Amino acid sequence: MDQIRNLHKRFKHLSHDEETLRKEDFDEISDLTPNPIRSQIIDAFFDKRNFGGNEVGRVQEIGFREFLTVMSHFRPLRQNLTEEGIERIRREKLRFLFNMHDKDSDGTITLDEYRSVVEELLSSSAAIEIETATAIADAAMLEVASVTVGEMAPGQVYEGITFEHFLEVIKALILKLHTLNIVSVTGSSTTTLHEPSTLMLHS
Amino acid sequence: PGRQSGSLRAPNPGKQTLLWLVEVVKPFSLLLFLFLVFHFSQRFTTVVPESCVLIILGLVLGGIVLIANKKQLYQLDPGLFFLFLLPTIVGDAGYFMPARFCLYGAKMAGVIDDNVEAGLMEFLLFGALISAVDPVAVLAVFEEVHVNEMLFIIVFGESLLNDAVTVVLYKVYISFVEVGPGNVLTADYFKGVASFLIVSIGGTLVGLIFAVILAFITRFTKKVRIIEPLFVFLLVYLAYLTAELFSLSAILSMTFCGIGCNKYVEANISQKSRTTVKYTMKTLASIAETIIFIFLGISAVDKSKWAWDTGLVSCTLIFIFVFRAMGVVGQTWILNKFRLIPLEKIDQVVMSYGGLRGAVAFALVVLLDGEQVKAKDYFVATTIVVVFFTVMFQGLTIKPLVKWLKVPRSTNRKPTINEEIHERAFDHILAAVEDIAGLSGYHHWRDKWEQFDKNYLSKLLMRKSVYCKSELWEAYQKINIRDAISVIDQGGNILTSARLSLPSMASRTSFPEVTNVTNYLRENGSGVCLDLQVIDTNPGAKVEEETETHHFLAGNLYKPRRRYQSPYSRHFMTLGDQERQDREVFQRNMRNRLESFKSTHYKRHKKDRSQKKARSHHRLSHLRLLLTPRVKPTKSQLKGELSEPEKDEDVGITFVARKAAETPKERPKSVPAALEVCQSPSVAPPSPTCGEKNLPWKEGIGALPPCVSVEATKIIPIDLQQAWNQSISSLESLASPPVPQEPQHPRVSALHRLSVPPRPPVPPPPSRAKFQFPAWKDEEEEGTLSQQHREMQPLMPSLRPPPPPPPPSSAQSSGKRRNPCVYLRSLVTTPPSGSMPHSRGPTQL
Repeated sequence: MDQIRNLHKRFKHLSHDEETLRKEDFDEISDLTPNPIRSQIIDAFFDKRNFGGNEVGRVQEIGFREFLTVMSHFRPLRQNLTEEGIERIRREKLRFLFNMHDKDSDGTITLDEYRSVVEELLSSSAAIEIETATAIADAAMLEVASVTVGEMAPGQVYEGITFEHFLEVIKALILKLHTLNIVSVTGSSTTTLHEPSTLMLHS
Repeated sequence: PGRQSGSLRAPNPGKQTLLWLVEVVKPFSLLLFLFLVFHFSQRFTTVVPESCVLIILGLVLGGIVLIANKKQLYQLDPGLFFLFLLPTIVGDAGYFMPARFCLYGAKMAGVIDDNVEAGLMEFLLFGALISAVDPVAVLAVFEEVHVNEMLFIIVFGESLLNDAVTVVLYKVYISFVEVGPGNVLTADYFKGVASFLIVSIGGTLVGLIFAVILAFITRFTKKVRIIEPLFVFLLVYLAYLTAELFSLSAILSMTFCGIGCNKYVEANISQKSRTTVKYTMKTLASIAETIIFIFLGISAVDKSKWAWDTGLVSCTLIFIFVFRAMGVVGQTWILNKFRLIPLEKIDQVVMSYGGLRGAVAFALVVLLDGEQVKAKDYFVATTIVVVFFTVMFQGLTIKPLVKWLKVPRSTNRKPTINEEIHERAFDHILAAVEDIAGLSGYHHWRDKWEQFDKNYLSKLLMRKSVYCKSELWEAYQKINIRDAISVIDQGGNILTSARLSLPSMASRTSFPEVTNVTNYLRENGSGVCLDLQVIDTNPGAKVEEETETHHFLAGNLYKPRRRYQSPYSRHFMTLGDQERQDREVFQRNMRNRLESFKSTHYKRHKKDRSQKKARSHHRLSHLRLLLTPRVKPTKSQLKGELSEPEKDEDVGITFVARKAAETPKERPKSVPAALEVCQSPSVAPPSPTCGEKNLPWKEGIGALPPCVSVEATKIIPIDLQQAWNQSISSLESLASPPVPQEPQHPRVSALHRLSVPPRPPVPPPPSRAKFQFPAWKDEEEEGTLSQQHREMQPLMPSLRPPPPPPPPSSAQSSGKRRNPCVYLRSLVTTPPSGSMPHSRGPTQL
């Protein structure tokens, strides 16, 4: 509960004591400015897919409830989870990531979307030209295609990265980082999000 | 190596003479030879850790010497150990420590177990030195066992700190012992704690200072590459000595120096220096390790040095185990409260079991002053037993244990591009969420650090040409180079096995997965027949630091072309001799021309130096052209963007001539002889249509002669390609009907009768770069057509010399001007027809 209170305080602070948060409020976070992919992250907060329902689309402003739901994607795993539970939560977390890259909500990360991701990632270093970013994205896409589809028929077209493919591609990464918690709000801070999301929604 | 070991021994304070030196050198060369033999016999070393073998060797040698001389001559001299042997080993480990995880290691800060037995000051002293987990022994064993990175770093970090703790405790206790137990005041204990803090923090600071100095120096060594490795060694060693001088923790200092400077130094020094540093460090470390363990063995044989006490020995062994286990369990319990990924039970077991005592403890105990510590001989005996037991028994059993417990082992696979991308994305997301939540957690600070690093440190410490590249770009580069090299390796296999397309699988041991790309390359592509000669001889590049990589590749990639010739000639068996000759003549001509182009180009290139941007663009396109790995079937569909045709095309190593993709002409798949060029569908008839005439670059490419290295076009920077295409186009126009004076091959005329196919509808340019595959209907007829077209081509090139390349600016702009529709069509590759199995093969040169 403590964490929720803390988050609520933060929410109020960000929203200037309004009931809802808008995109502009996020822009005011000064620490966020140097982050190359901040727009993606901010968008994720306004994406209906991340609110738990099955809706698709975007909203202009979010309340505390939505804010919490999105943040809950970043909570660490609880220790007492079963294998299945861990697997489910991991999937949810990865789905969140995937949605972040899949801007048009069509279930695939197309080359276009992938390119823009890479470009944003590289945008902090000015010396990298856009072409380079594109080349990297292309190479990465080729890699995805080769990993997931394998030998493609000559006429076959790789439409984009589906969620399944996404899982497969970064499988090794997950294991490597041991990161089930995509985000660990941990460390020195006392404010960790330990509560299950259901709890949060009730609060 | 033998001589080196002799000279390393030289600082021994004893009254050794030249005779001694000679005497030492002999057995040692023998030993090192033996060591090498053992090293080579892999079957043996997979079961027995090297350190065990070395100790046994030392025992044997010590026995021999003892029998011969009745007196032990060689003793592990602590001065030698601390000054020469330890730094090499730790330097190696520190420098190659994966920096990302060092934070975790540092978190582990703590002494695992403390005093074994309390009571007398002497026992405290002994406890201090025996409790230290020895970095040398742990490194030796853990590296062989290949535990996962995490575990390795934790244990290593712990032993590093232990070193600091041990040395400090050791000194504190020594002073206590000198003062006498009765006179120790409480304040002295606090002093001890304080001095521990000072020692470790001071050591770290010294290390970091030297890291900055080193990085800064290497920034200016561009002209004198040779001294780069020297600087690396000297400064790292200097960090060690300096810390030692101020009685700070030398090991910590050295480790942090290595960790700190690694990133910047690696970026600054040249590839060759990098390799030199790497191998020299590894070699020195392994030599030092060998010597230490052998000394240990030798010393154990000499009975006069120790006295046995069963009670003490057994107690010590038991206590070591128990306290180690308790320490590990207790501290991991605390640590797990803060860690994302809790340390598992298994890890804890391995950590407790991995508490090997080694040469450090031994050296310290030998250093004890026999006058003040009466029980020294007992301590020596116990230490030797403990070291033996832990290294021999635990070292031998830890491997099966690790296997049995199924501890996740480290894998050698390198991250793929996707993983790099997502890893970076993760980091940023985590940092962002922490920011949003208003927390200042780990990621927040790391993000801050990265900002700081990018804005200030890198600018200060890295060469200008280097620091602006992001890590992702580096990773991309590395992956490309790796693929390229592996293709080369496989090329070698092809040569020997004379198999056409499937080089032996065995050759790729190191990249089990990445590889998919490489796989593809190997399977279909490996027709790496690009004509790298063009670049190989390029004189201008010697000056260019940036093209180093490129040259590296150029040098390496050159061979496959030769190698592949024989397999590929099989394709051409069907061709008549006449045609073959034509083709060869043609090739020779074209190569000459390319040479001339190249030289002109590079001259200009040189002049351009001031225009940084243009140049870097060239470089990029070079590299990309050479490097981008690609997957055969998908490649053509992947090409998406109009703005960078060259990038898409260059899908690299397979060197499929994507140049053709830009061409409007039909190069249908049905053509024999593997011209990838043919794959790109072309809309236009072989001879230029009037519409295309306005666009010279467009019409030119169609005429791209079949054997002219399509690759060649790829290698040359895009603007040069344009020029070249223009030249080709001019050639073609000569060969085409309107220019009757040229001698015409019968096929040529036949072709021209045929060559007025209707232009197929051009699909509207898609607004986004989505992969598509529009239906392609006219392929078949055009396929046959172009086949004939191609056949006649070998004759054409000999007709005219190429025009000089146009100025780069125009070439560039022409590149941008590319007709979107046409380009997109080219993206839509026509599948090669089944009848021509080799149509997708590499081009022949």
